[in-house]
Amino acid sequence: MPVAAIVALILLSILLAGVLVYRPALTLHPAGKILAFGVLFFLPLFCFMAGMSSEMERSKSTTFCLSCHIMEPYGKSLQVDDPSYLAGAHFQNHRVPADEACYTCHTNYAMFGSFKAKMGGMRHLYVHYLKTEPRPEDVKLHEPYNNRECLHCHLGARSFEQGAVHNADPATLPAVKANALSCVSSGCHDVVHNVGTLDKVKLWNEGK
Amino acid sequence: MERAERIHGKLQVSGILVMLGLLVEAICLLWSRPIAFVIFASLGGLLIAAGVLFFLYSLVSSSSSKQIHDN
Repeated sequence: MPVAAIVALILLSILLAGVLVYRPALTLHPAGKILAFGVLFFLPLFCFMAGMSSEMERSKSTTFCLSCHIMEPYGKSLQVDDPSYLAGAHFQNHRVPADEACYTCHTNYAMFGSFKAKMGGMRHLYVHYLKTEPRPEDVKLHEPYNNRECLHCHLGARSFEQGAVHNADPATLPAVKANALSCVSSGCHDVVHNVGTLDKVKLWNEGK
Repeated sequence: MERAERIHGKLQVSGILVMLGLLVEAICLLWSRPIAFVIFASLGGLLIAAGVLFFLYSLVSSSSSKQIHDN
């Protein structure tokens, strides 16, 4: 449901609730009772659920995540013109949806993953408003990055399953799949955002 | 008459709470900042829940007082 339609429905609900507040005697008639039930029970709950759904969708967008000042360097890292930068390479080549880039990699592909991701976002807001914010380069993940999030897309892909480096040692792939060896561990795909070194690298599509 | 006025008073309180909640939600939907999401879910949700629950309470209390009156 588009935001404009939800806002229009909310305004209509406010108007109808205003009529009931101004003329509560309307509820003495059966039609007034139905109106009261619709305006004071059904419509507010429907508006809340529709709005919540819209807000949840919006909170997945890349622009939403990057609207916080501290995330600006992370947005910039998506524009690095160097394929060894994991986040930039995924974003620029649409290996993740460009308009939901942050959410796609940083959600949790387990049960209640979206909910956990939102709770993580709440923690960001708590730190932003009530604690001392770290420098962007000092921001750390809540927990070590789980390979499950990479394997959600890469598992079964030819480039992953038959990749020369992945198969150089027969123990590598099983260890990666079991999350015993991290995809982003040192010597593998360890250049992800690296926001501390962004001033030294060339950017693709700079200014966009 | 007095009972009807009491119910009307409760409906008015419920209506005002719902209106405030909906107003908060409308503002948050038009204000696309992360903090808007939190205000939407917390303050907006709380006001609407309070309004709806107060409305339900007014229905229950009015029917129970009617029963006492009839007996």
